Amino acid sequence: MISKLFLFILFFCNFSSASNGNNENNYIAIIMFILFVTVTLFITYLASKKSSTADGFYTAGGNITGLQNGLAISGDFMSAASFLGISGLVYLTGFDGLIYSIGFLIGWPIILLLIAEPLRNLGKYSFADVVSFRLSQRPIRILAACGSLSTVILYLIAQMVGAGKLIEILFGLPYYSAVMIVGGLMILYVTFGGMLATTWVQIIKAILLLFGATTIAILVLFQFNFDINLFFNEATNIHKKGVSILSPGGLISDPISAVSLGLALMFGTAGLPHILMRFFTVSDANQARKSVAYATGFIGYFYLLTFIIGFGAIILISNNPSYLDGSNTLIGGNNMAAIHLAHAVGGDILLGFISAVAFATILAVVSGLTLAGASAISHDLYANAFFKGKQTEKSEMFVSKIATIFLGILSIYLGIIFQDQNVAFMVGLAFAIAASANFPLLLLSIYWKKLTTKGAVVGGSLGLLSAITFVILGPVVWVDILGNTTPIFPYKYPALFSMSITFLIIWIISSLDKSKQGVSEIKSFDAQYFRSQTGIGIDTKISH
Amino acid sequence: MVNKNYNKKLKALIALRLKIVRPLLCITILPYFCFIGVIAFKPEKFSPLIFNTHISLGIFLGLLLILLIFFITIRYVYLANKYIEPQINAIKNDI
Repeated sequence: MISKLFLFILFFCNFSSASNGNNENNYIAIIMFILFVTVTLFITYLASKKSSTADGFYTAGGNITGLQNGLAISGDFMSAASFLGISGLVYLTGFDGLIYSIGFLIGWPIILLLIAEPLRNLGKYSFADVVSFRLSQRPIRILAACGSLSTVILYLIAQMVGAGKLIEILFGLPYYSAVMIVGGLMILYVTFGGMLATTWVQIIKAILLLFGATTIAILVLFQFNFDINLFFNEATNIHKKGVSILSPGGLISDPISAVSLGLALMFGTAGLPHILMRFFTVSDANQARKSVAYATGFIGYFYLLTFIIGFGAIILISNNPSYLDGSNTLIGGNNMAAIHLAHAVGGDILLGFISAVAFATILAVVSGLTLAGASAISHDLYANAFFKGKQTEKSEMFVSKIATIFLGILSIYLGIIFQDQNVAFMVGLAFAIAASANFPLLLLSIYWKKLTTKGAVVGGSLGLLSAITFVILGPVVWVDILGNTTPIFPYKYPALFSMSITFLIIWIISSLDKSKQGVSEIKSFDAQYFRSQTGIGIDTKISH
Repeated sequence: MVNKNYNKKLKALIALRLKIVRPLLCITILPYFCFIGVIAFKPEKFSPLIFNTHISLGIFLGLLLILLIFFITIRYVYLANKYIEPQINAIKNDI
């Protein structure tokens, strides 16, 4: 383990010294990053002793506090893509960036009010525990695992491709080795440290990211004596679109797209498996509640910062030739706005720090995703769908580790395959699937008495398939990527249609289901509802 | 195990939860879709600058929406700790 650690650091140093290093400040970034990797691998080593049991591996022993979990959740959610992507969008379009920030935040009250507590009260390791609580294990687990894995893999591809490109620019590393380092470290964290290491990696990274973004924002506002009015005035004077950056641009053009995107963002968050899994790391519903409140606070604060950073970039770097290339666009693209701004206000030291934080952020997010994917394979598919709980804990843990390595290698491979593709739509598709398959299953299994296995399986699979089909036949994939002239499905965002299909089909099939199994599933709702409301009957975790 | 008293308490708990969750859910969903609705149908309504500043109505309301989301989560945790927790504990004590 320790030897592997040093091998990795050596491997990394080799590449960094071999890189041509267009930035001298590379060294600060590299030192900071190696420090982060050393600390997190040490944590992984400490955590490895506690991660050999299923409880340790999936839930970090269930003793994470509300505040810690809130930080870890916000760590899972504040990806490099959202930090750089949203500040880049604000830099480019102004107001439209705010639409995404609010969209990503609006899902949190929904999770808090509808999902968090029943989820903690009914489940043990994965959200499929909740959906299959009174329904038939095998079909529900397979369906939930398909939903989880498609969300996780799409998210992973987007993160991996983004990571490769970002690290290529920041550290001068070749794309392939960047993707392999991210994949390799992620496999180490998750295989050896399980949820405990992943949680602490998230917490450290969340604190670093919040600290870094706060520093940039304060340094930017300091130049305007913290006068917000002056700040916005300056931005509209400089931006070539003038005052129109303060109002909606062309991001959402028609009402159907608007509602569809709104639905996907609002309910998709409540169906992301790597986020849902975090609620099993706290001791009870009370702590689960607190974690969401903390997470919402951190994430909302973070989006306020990205908004300031985006506008700050308009003022401070959009006219500075040292950050622009020949065609007057930012070096490395619009997503580099936050990185260049860090250099403009904080010099090489802040640039190095932010670069290292961006790298750390990618590592933490892919680890969280891989852990959620691995548990879908080992806990839902292997242990419950195929062995129906008759497997030993040891064999389940073995499968979880194999699954982690498999997902790690798969994501490296897909990261390389999709290198030159536009992968931005994949996060949108992941949200659409989460909102159209995972969320309806979870919501209805908790609150709707008449839900039966047949309804859930048919409706859930149709929701999953329709979300994927609509995106493939829609403008983004069918026209932009596959090069056809007109889309078969006219809208960019499928959630309005795919979510309606899921809810409608589940309602029809469940209502028509008069089978003996269906009747007994409806009968067992009351006991489940009692437990979901009160938490009586959940495993009480003993603190060590 | 299931006696009348205990059923009554469970019903009261569910009613209480509904009473707390429903208004909060409304002030989450309605303002958000109004915001999105304005952007989709009447984007120009968000353009005017407010109170003689250089901040547009859209940005002002957007930031207000973020604050509203903070308020909703804090309010729910406060209400749940104050009213829901004691009722759950009362049911737990009965068993």
